[in-house]
Amino acid sequence: MTNTSPKHTEPLERTLYEQSVAGRRAITLPKADVPDAPLPDAQLRADNGLPELSESQIVRHYLRLSQMNFGVDSGFYPLGSCTMKHNPKINEQLARLPGFASIHPLQDAATVQGALEIMHGLQEALKEIGGFAAASLQPVAGAQGELTALLMIRACHADRGQAHRDRILVPDTAHGTNPASARMAGFLAVEIPSDARGNVDIDAVRAACDDRLAGIMLTNPNTLGLFEERIGDIVELVHAAGGFVYGDGANMNALTAVVRPGELGIDVMHFNLHKTFATPHGGGGPGSGPLGAGARLAEYLPGPVVEHDPAADPRYRFARPERSIGRMTAFHGNFGMLVRAFAYIRALGAAGLRTNAADAVLNANYLRGRLKSEYPVPFDRLCMHEFVSEGRPEGSSARAIDISKRLMDFGFHPPTNYFPLIVREALMIEPTETETKETLDAFAEAMLQIAAEARDAPEKLREAPHATPVSRLDEVKAARERIVTDRAARGSDGEIG
Amino acid sequence: MGGKIGLKGTDGLADEAVRLGATPIAADRALASLKPLKALISGRRMERDLDWVTCSGAMGGDALRITSFESIEIVHQASSPTTVDDTVQAVQSFLEAGVDLILFCGGDGTARDIATATAKTVPILGIPSGVKMYSGVFGITPERVAKVVFAFLEGRVQAAEADLLDLDEERYRCGEWVIRPVGSALTPFEPTLTQTAKAFAVEASEAQAKAEIADDLRDQISACRDTVFLFGPGTTVQSVAEHVGVEKTLLGIDAFLNGRLVERDLNERAILRLLGDKKNAVLVLSPIGAQGFVLGRGNLQLSPEVIRRIGTGNIVVVATPAKLQRTPVLHFDTGDAALDRELGRNGYLSVVIGYHLRRMVPVG
Repeated sequence: MTNTSPKHTEPLERTLYEQSVAGRRAITLPKADVPDAPLPDAQLRADNGLPELSESQIVRHYLRLSQMNFGVDSGFYPLGSCTMKHNPKINEQLARLPGFASIHPLQDAATVQGALEIMHGLQEALKEIGGFAAASLQPVAGAQGELTALLMIRACHADRGQAHRDRILVPDTAHGTNPASARMAGFLAVEIPSDARGNVDIDAVRAACDDRLAGIMLTNPNTLGLFEERIGDIVELVHAAGGFVYGDGANMNALTAVVRPGELGIDVMHFNLHKTFATPHGGGGPGSGPLGAGARLAEYLPGPVVEHDPAADPRYRFARPERSIGRMTAFHGNFGMLVRAFAYIRALGAAGLRTNAADAVLNANYLRGRLKSEYPVPFDRLCMHEFVSEGRPEGSSARAIDISKRLMDFGFHPPTNYFPLIVREALMIEPTETETKETLDAFAEAMLQIAAEARDAPEKLREAPHATPVSRLDEVKAARERIVTDRAARGSDGEIG
Repeated sequence: MGGKIGLKGTDGLADEAVRLGATPIAADRALASLKPLKALISGRRMERDLDWVTCSGAMGGDALRITSFESIEIVHQASSPTTVDDTVQAVQSFLEAGVDLILFCGGDGTARDIATATAKTVPILGIPSGVKMYSGVFGITPERVAKVVFAFLEGRVQAAEADLLDLDEERYRCGEWVIRPVGSALTPFEPTLTQTAKAFAVEASEAQAKAEIADDLRDQISACRDTVFLFGPGTTVQSVAEHVGVEKTLLGIDAFLNGRLVERDLNERAILRLLGDKKNAVLVLSPIGAQGFVLGRGNLQLSPEVIRRIGTGNIVVVATPAKLQRTPVLHFDTGDAALDRELGRNGYLSVVIGYHLRRMVPVG
């Protein structure tokens, strides 16, 4: 990225390549105790281009980079639709136990019964939480969960002689991955507008329900943070037209142990373990997007899944659902994440999960109430785990991007901005349940102060952030001219470009 | 007049239009507005209070008499055939008579003539009956003009300034689409009943979106062999056609079969002749930006008979997401109310906005 601020003429941290000094070493390798076996000349390079550094240089370099970073462990992170909640550290310890961390996915199932028991336990917990007949832990990300569900829907229609059903309805508030997944699965994505209350426009759904309908992708609560008020009617319409209802579980944090999507008529849904069940997120990932399915689609789930027979030996074994669409990933999903999520669910129990959901909703409504006088909320009704306001305080020319950048000066990560697309200058704020009232108040005060600044000292916003390691970046240049390797940065003549 | 025979506007071409078989549609359009207006005000006090000043014969007097309005005063004797001078002189007489609203039939050219003469002293409102109606002073359909007038008489709708746009007809006839802002005028503005001026901004990502739409259409074309694909007018359809790999005129309706050009710039008769009784056809159209008209503006060659022959289920509407952002509602105004209802029967239209991507867009 290019730093547009004049105050940083020197790079904040030089790359390891720039710090390299020929001949310097971090470690000394022991003398080889086997004879040299030289590589063929054709495969040898005179200069392999690797940096040469001392151990202290390397340690300091990475430590300084980490100090410039921002994560849920360093501050409030109200990134809407991402559920950036605290990741309990005990789950990290459990996932690192040698019995989990050192096993191999190709080991005989009889030798890893504990691991299979955890997977089975998580499958059962997700079935219970979602109100589903079966679950599969295969998908390794939310979007892969979406794709998997759509492939199941396609397979089921094909088995019923309904392969011509090629339309998937996608609300205009959906995550961008929804239409992308639909198209990847070979469907036509049909965008459905929202109505004045922020719900899916049910008349548009009705108009789109014909004999080519394969299903609908519904996020509930939707990305406006609103519970879909007519979800029962939508499910009925889609089922009556011969389609399936897929639930995008990205916003499940609001509903866990309160509403069971399967009982609303959702046929298949993915869970984001890295959102709802507090496994690490983003750079700390990887993600995990298991699926729950109702009776009509359960046999199409990807396998293998773990089955339990107390009378058998071994008691836990891998099996493939009868009409399974097959694997979505090698081996058994992101196993470390499965351990963390299972630990989280067991530690909280049903009552704890329910309290979390309620607190997440309470926190979001608290912030909505505190901020809406300065940041208008276009769909202003009781929200769920998040709300979407307009980042343009009255009487100012500030934009959502300015508000977001200025927030960094107060030590807060900006909310999701400019999404969903149907709200102008959108700021999507999701505080999660793991924040204290003091943090929420500090955030609200910062937002209100920024609104006042937007009117009285707009340049303060336009030039923000002021207190971060680098000031405002030229994000367009960064996106258009992607220089992501040292070689690209140096250009062909070895100079920094 | 001039739409069905494929003329791109009749400014300076009225004689040519008549020779080619065009019939003036203004009289029918005027009645289509005045009759519902009469019904709306019937029995109300405003019926007694409403005084009409108008021109003789086809320029207003006949239509008002047919509709049985009572207080009608002819303040301008129209010449035969009528000319632009008639329009200008009539407006002068209206202004002298102290009118509150000038209702007219025509297109952008007429709107501009009237707006120049009124100089924003009196609001004007157009009953859509020209070839080009890009300005913001037209009702969406003749029926809705009646509703606007009624709301205006009741004092529920205020006059607001609207853009006047016009196409450069000389360049338009040469296949170049240049819309110019030519001024503004006062008009009773009701967003659901009065059309907004066509947006003419082009966004950077449009090209990519059009390429995607073209990929989608290519799939449809290869799935429908021996089907005639009729590409309608406009920059969206032209660019999409270019990406599909066929060369298309900007303003005409061109026919392609199995990826090859069959005939260019077809008028109503030519389309019907080409399709005969047997050929399957798919019509590719794009709404006019901001206004949202899919049929009835700029493509009058697609008469109700042509649409029925093609089949209302065989119309593919394409638009880039950016265009739809400025065009929240689509409209049909074929001149045949029953057909318009059939085209919008679901209340929504599925519009191709990308490769394997559709959007349900409300139909007004």
